[in-house]
Order: sequence, then structure tokens, then C-alpha cells
Amino acid sequence: MREDEQAGEPSPVPVPALRLRGVSKSYGPVAACDAVDLDVYRGEIHGLLGENGAGKSTLMKILLGLVRRDAGTVLRDDEPVDIGSPRQAAALGIGMVHQHFSLIDPLTVWENVVLGDTGRIDRSAARDQVLEISRRYGLPVDPLARVAGLSAGERQRVELIKCLRGDPSVLILDEPTSVLTRAESAELFGVLRRAVRSESRAVILISHKLDEITAATDRVTVLRGGKVVFRSATARTGPRELARWMVGREVSLGAEAAVGLLPGTYGSAAGEAGPGRAAMAETGPEAGGSATGEAGPAKATMTEIRTEEIGTDEAARGVQDPPPPVLRLRGLTLTVDGVPVLSGLDLDVAPGEIVGLYGVEGNGQSSLGDLLSGLFAPDSGTVEISGRPVDLKRPGALHAAGLGIVPEDRHGSGLVPDMSVAANLVMKSLDAVSGRVFLDRKRTHALARRLVAEFGIVTPSTDTPVRDLSGGNRQRVVLARELSARPAVLVVAQPSRGLDVGAIEDMHRRLRDVASEGMAVLLISTELEEVMTLASRIAVISSGRITGVLSGGEVTAERLGTLVGGATA
Amino acid sequence: MREIPSGSGQGPSGRLLALLTAGPGASGWKTGLVTVAGVAVALALSSLLIAVTGGSPLDSVRALFQGSVADSTAWTSTLLYAAPLLLVAVGACVSARSGVFNIGQEGQVLVGALFAAWVGLRLAVTGPALLVVVLTVAALAGGAWAGLSSLMYRLRGVNIVVSTLLMTFVAQQLVAFAVNTPWLLQETRIGDAVVAPQSNPLPPGALLGSIGEYPDLQVNGGLLIAVTGAAIIATAITRTRWGFRLTMLGLNPVAARHAGVRADALGGAALAVSGAFAGLAGAVLLTSPVGVHRLQPGMAMNIGWDGLLVALVARNRPGPAVAVALLFGALRSGGGFLAATGVPSVVVDVVKALLVLAFVAPPAVIAVLRRRGSGVRTARDGHGAVPVAERTAL
Repeated sequence: MREDEQAGEPSPVPVPALRLRGVSKSYGPVAACDAVDLDVYRGEIHGLLGENGAGKSTLMKILLGLVRRDAGTVLRDDEPVDIGSPRQAAALGIGMVHQHFSLIDPLTVWENVVLGDTGRIDRSAARDQVLEISRRYGLPVDPLARVAGLSAGERQRVELIKCLRGDPSVLILDEPTSVLTRAESAELFGVLRRAVRSESRAVILISHKLDEITAATDRVTVLRGGKVVFRSATARTGPRELARWMVGREVSLGAEAAVGLLPGTYGSAAGEAGPGRAAMAETGPEAGGSATGEAGPAKATMTEIRTEEIGTDEAARGVQDPPPPVLRLRGLTLTVDGVPVLSGLDLDVAPGEIVGLYGVEGNGQSSLGDLLSGLFAPDSGTVEISGRPVDLKRPGALHAAGLGIVPEDRHGSGLVPDMSVAANLVMKSLDAVSGRVFLDRKRTHALARRLVAEFGIVTPSTDTPVRDLSGGNRQRVVLARELSARPAVLVVAQPSRGLDVGAIEDMHRRLRDVASEGMAVLLISTELEEVMTLASRIAVISSGRITGVLSGGEVTAERLGTLVGGATA
Repeated sequence: MREIPSGSGQGPSGRLLALLTAGPGASGWKTGLVTVAGVAVALALSSLLIAVTGGSPLDSVRALFQGSVADSTAWTSTLLYAAPLLLVAVGACVSARSGVFNIGQEGQVLVGALFAAWVGLRLAVTGPALLVVVLTVAALAGGAWAGLSSLMYRLRGVNIVVSTLLMTFVAQQLVAFAVNTPWLLQETRIGDAVVAPQSNPLPPGALLGSIGEYPDLQVNGGLLIAVTGAAIIATAITRTRWGFRLTMLGLNPVAARHAGVRADALGGAALAVSGAFAGLAGAVLLTSPVGVHRLQPGMAMNIGWDGLLVALVARNRPGPAVAVALLFGALRSGGGFLAATGVPSVVVDVVKALLVLAFVAPPAVIAVLRRRGSGVRTARDGHGAVPVAERTAL
């Protein structure tokens, strides 16, 4: 194969597979992309870094023919091309794996993969093809399995197989790890590395996670406000510099941690990736030159740093006898569709502490969030708030008992996107803004304006539908509403998911504030860094039960790893 | 894997209706423009059709106009049709807003009329009190009939769109049975006269009179009831806690449940309310001079279906539904006049349907246009949350 000659030689071939010159796209007065130049070569993973709204998605939509550019040229192997539709993009060998899965749940894997084909469907050929691709790239998946029963990581694999089946020479991945576990992410980058090296494909990796950009890419381009503000070979830059370019200012430690600025996280991915990668990891400034193919040493260093932080920060609290818990979960057991998702979960959260519930995605934390949102009643077990058991079958009982929740799926269960900001802010406390029958518009808007100001919600007016707000502001609406009811305990699920650095930082600051005012906070997160920076105790969830609770001083990588793996410490 | 508890029985059909009934768009003038164009196209097609079938398009338009709004007689007829249409539409607004799609109004109208006739003919109450009883019983009967669908959903998970639709056919059979059964409601046999499948005429005390005295023009009490109903529901939806919860349930059942709304109870109540309005419309059909004051199998005259269309065109807002109901009333009475001029009634139906399409289609057309031009917010938002049709809040 022609590609084989290039496989050993990481230096890019002179003609870029894809070259963008001065590509611009405006929506009214807003320039989503402003004269963007980008070169993507065969055999490289090109990182595209930027906050939400930086123009990454628009740029990719232009490449996929979903959006027409206003100006600029796109060259494919030095040939100017016009991409008018996704079909044309596919014909030009540009394929994309979207951030949100576009799979159809009730269909099987192979059916999803061939979806969109025309002509006769050859079932066994399609299955063989899926198996062949899955073997070639190391993407184990059963072609006969129904997508509905697959984990996030497996779905990602299906998406990838679907895309690779079209044999694209330029492969675009939009935030591919947002729902993946650490191990799954590492595996994904391994696959990409193989596709790039041995088959001379080009990969564009869109992300706002600094650690995965530094660990997995060869070159990186940073977009801010629609413009390219920085480009470099990944080896010659580091997460701190990239963060600066991405945000345009220094970020606080908490936010850094949440976007994965702490080093070593993807050390294992780098180790697997091949000879070129190890060298790169060593040049990362934060790795302290100690990173080798093994992730172990780097992880240990990282944990020491954190342990110190937590030790100094939370020592005072740890010394006193813990006050009685505000939130007491006892023996929560829940089965959904015949699958046990929670099995005898016990957890306490005391006033003034942030308890981090950490675990790999899919171990029951989502269901716990739904349960605490009042969407499910458990098969058995109790939820006690301030010493009183709550009847979970009664709608609104949790809220009445003093539990506030910022759910994981904010558009789904936390907000009514088509209703106004004001309506969303008061929807759980109608008593405060209405008589027995009629709503009081004046009081509604007065309350809404007060909360908008207090929580720094950026919105044109309190009448604006929530769907027009950015992700960070939507989350602030939920948080403002929940905190305005003065709950005794606040549950926050995956607070940094889908948000940019600024919004994450703001959220973290507010969580620390409410905890220091004496509220009990339960933080459900799959981001280890987030849990480590915020929580005073870490409860690890595995297979629907708590495998162990560690307070500041006890946290080590080994212990966490054991607990996450399901063994009780 | 995650099961999202749905508050109300709806499927793809419900979603389709939701798309069609999506709230008012940001650009009212655009909708107006497309509507005008649509009406022009409908008129052109109608003219063509009438010309092809041997009529005179110009005369037909004149007839349509004369029969609906040209003089006070025409207005009388228009208003008589508008009242039951509006009642059905207001009810449809309530259920659709809660996300429960009731499309069985035609049957609920019949059941309302059936019980109204029974009470009006059998109850020994005299004077205006009888009218009050008749109207109340009709509303209760319509509500209970719709409530059966809600019950089926809660007990066995029967889709509400399907069950309300099918219950219409049951209602039709019930009425046919009642007016063909001597011991039920069939008219009294006088001598050897042939008895028709219909009830006796209602006593004068059970009839809706006109309000005020105008030369030629009659404004029936039914219209007053309908407009009052529209005003009450409009206020209830926008200004009360009940309406707030209803809107929340319709727009996002999961969030509503999370916020403490009893989805089943509220959705069931909304369905019953919409059935009650349809039942009331049945009583108005029976007791106002639009018919012959007798229960007849064909007396619903598709008012249930058309009322649903009124709500569709008004996009589930009771206020605009008043105007739309007038328009549909005018189309009905003008259409009747047109048929009287010799244009085949089939063609009249097609003309009416084309005009209805002209008024229903614009929001959908705009939505399609907007979707094609979208990407603005999607691109900047980065999450791929696609705003398709906007809806109003509060």
C-alpha cells in the first residue's frame, strides 16, 4: 500500500489533505468564522481547540456541507472544491463523528451502520463488513446487538465504524470523549492513531479538553471568537499555553482542573499510541520529564499534589466530629428494564460539606440523579432529608423536603426550554409568586430579575425563552431556581458537562460558596479532577453501590482505582 | 436505557400535531404574507375547478361572499356556525397545550347532544332552568366520554390519539341506536306516520334564544357561551397556576414531573375539559337554530373536526380562535349558499378544504423555511440543540 511508506515517517507530506484559506461565515452581525486558515495533513491528528461558540462547529459544518461559507476557499489535495451537501462531502472523503450520537436505539448495530445506503441490503455482507472494520481498528462490537442496550463507549465505536465504512480520508471527531470513560477515551485515541499512521488518514479532533489535545494530537489550532489565534506543533506547546490562548486569560486552579489541565491523565493513551507519542509526552512541561510509556509515575505525582491541596483546604473540617447528615440514602435499589442499576446504595451528606460521588459512567450515578429528581421511585430503600423520610412517589416531595437539584440532563428534566427565563425560575415555587389561583406577573418578574442579577444570568430579558440562552446560562437558571428555594441539600450532577471554562469556573465557585454557608452538597461527577478539586469526601460508586468513601488524606490513585474497579476498600 | 416517564399518551402522531400546532413564530408579518399568497392560490385553484366542472368562478366567489357576510341574514348563519366551532376549538386548545392530543371531538359533540336531548326531553324541569341543566349535562357527558380515553390510557396504556379517534365511531353508533329505539329517544309515532331516525323536538324552555333585538340579525346565546368560554380559558392558560402547570406539562413532561406536576391527573383533567367543551358544543348545536332542535345522527355536521382545525389554525390560542372560528363559520355558511347556486356539493367541499389549507399551511411553510435557514444558533451554541419552531412562554 502506498500509505505504508509514510507510516514510519511522522513528518507530514507537503500537500495538505485539506487546506482552508480565509474561510468566513457570518450570521447577521456575528462572525462565527472569520478568515480561518487551516492545513490538515495526511497522517496527522490535528487538534481544534476552542471554547463553546469559538466557531469550531461552524467550521466543521462548512466542511460537511451543512453550512455554506460566505467567503474563502477549501482545497482538497490542492484542488479547490465546493461542498454543497453532506453527500458531496462524503464523496470528497470527508466523514464526521458527531458529538451527539445519531444512532437509532431500537435498531441493531449493523442496521445502524448501513442506514442511509441505497439499493438492496445484504444482511450478511453488512455484518461481515462491520466485523471486518471492528477487527481492523480494534473496535470490538457485536453487529447483532441492539443499540439501545449499548454503553456510551460502545455507541461511540458504532459511530466510528459507521464513519470508517465510508473510507474517509479526512475524519472529523467532535468532542468524542464527552461521554466516554478514561479507558474508553484512551482506547479511542489508540484507534485513531492506528488509522492515521497505518492508513494515512487525516483526523481533525475537536475538543475543549486540554489534556486530550496535548496527549493525542500532532498539531493544534486554537480558535477564539471565530479567529485562529494560535497554531503549533503539539510537542512545542503545553496545556497552560493552550488554555491561555483558548480563554484569552489565565484561569483559576479549579477551572484548570475541570478541563483536565492537571498532567498525566492521558499518559496511558500516549503510552499505547506508539513511539512518536512517548517523546511528545516527555516534552509536556507539567509531566516533569518523568512520563514514560507507563501511566503510573505521572499519576502518582498528580495525586500527591492534589492530596496536599485537599489536606490544607479541608483539614479544619475533617478534625471536628461530623454533624448529623442532612441527606441520608439507605439501601436504595432500583431496577430499570430488568437491569439492576442501583443495588443497596448508602450515602450520607452532612451540612457544609461537598461529597463527590465519583465513578465511571454507567455505574448508576445517572439513575441516582433521576431518582433524586423525582423521576423514579426506588424499588426499595429510603431517602431521608434532615432526618425525615421522603415519600418519593409523591411528585414534588423532594423539593418540598428541602432538596435542590441541578440535573445532569438540564434541557430534559431541569428546564422547559420553550418557556421564558422567568417561568423557569419560578416553576418550582409557584406559591411565592401566586395566590390560590392566579399568578402574579409583577412578583414573578421581580423575583426573576432579582435572581438574574444575583446569579449573573446573561439574558436579553426575563421573557426570553430559555432555549435561546447559552449552556452556562441555562445551568445558572437551574441553579438559581434551586438555590432560591433555600434547600438544605443541593445535588449537582455532571455540572461541567458541555460547558466552557468560564462557566465551569463560575459554577465551581458557587458550589464552594453554598457549602461554606452550611449547605450539604452532593456532587455527582465522572470527572475525577472536578471531584478532587471540589469535594471534601469522595464516595466511589461502582455497579450501583458505594464501594468506599475516602476523605481528603486517604485519597491515592491506587485506592481510587481499586474502588472504581468495584472492590470494596 | 434510561426510561423517561412520559406524562401523556402520545406517539409520533402527537409529535406531528405538535409540529403543526407549534406556537406563533417570531415574524407575524411573514405568516400573514404567506397566508395571503396561500388564499390567492386556493382561490385560483378553486376557480379553475369550478370552471372545469362547468360553473362560473366569478359567480361562485360572489355566492361565497353573499352567503357569509354580505347581509345580516348571512351574518346570522355565520355566527350560528361559529359558536359550536369555537367551543370545540377552545377545548382542543386546552388538551393540546397539555400535550394530550384529543382528536375525538366529533364523537364528544354527539355524546353531548345525546345526553342534552335525553335530559331536555325527559326531565320534568320547566323554564330557563331546563336549559341550564341541558347545557351542564352535555358538558359533563362530553367530559366523561373523553375521560374514558384517559382511563384507558392509565389502565392499559392505550394511545390517547387513537382511542379518542375511535371513540368517535362508538359515539356515532350510540346516537344512531338511541334515535332508532322507541323506548330511548326515537320520535313519537303519531297515527300511521312513518317515524324518522330522530328525536322529538326539544321543548321551548330548553332552547337557546337570541340576545338583543336587531332587525334581521340574530345573535344566538350559544355565541355568548362560546366567547365567554374562550375568555375564561385564555385567562386560565396565561394567568393561573393551573395554566402554568398545563403549559409546562405540554412543553416538557419530564421537567413538569420534576417540578411536582402530577402528569396523569393534570393531563386527564385537560382531556376531560376539552371533551366537556365539545359536549357543550353538541348541546349548542341541539338547542340553537342552527339545526332543527332534534337529535339526529348527522347533526354533528363535522363541527368536531372543523373545530379541531380552528384550534390548529389558531395554534392553540383561545383568543385568535375566536377570529378563526368566525372565518370557518363564514366558510360554512358561504359554502352552503354556494351549493344552493348549483355548484356540486363535492366541489364546494374541495373549495372549503383548499381555503382551510391556505390558512393552516403558512406556519408549517414558515417552519420549513426557517429550518432550512437555521444553523445560526446551532452553530454558535455548540451543543447541537436545534431550535426548530419557537413557542411562546407564559
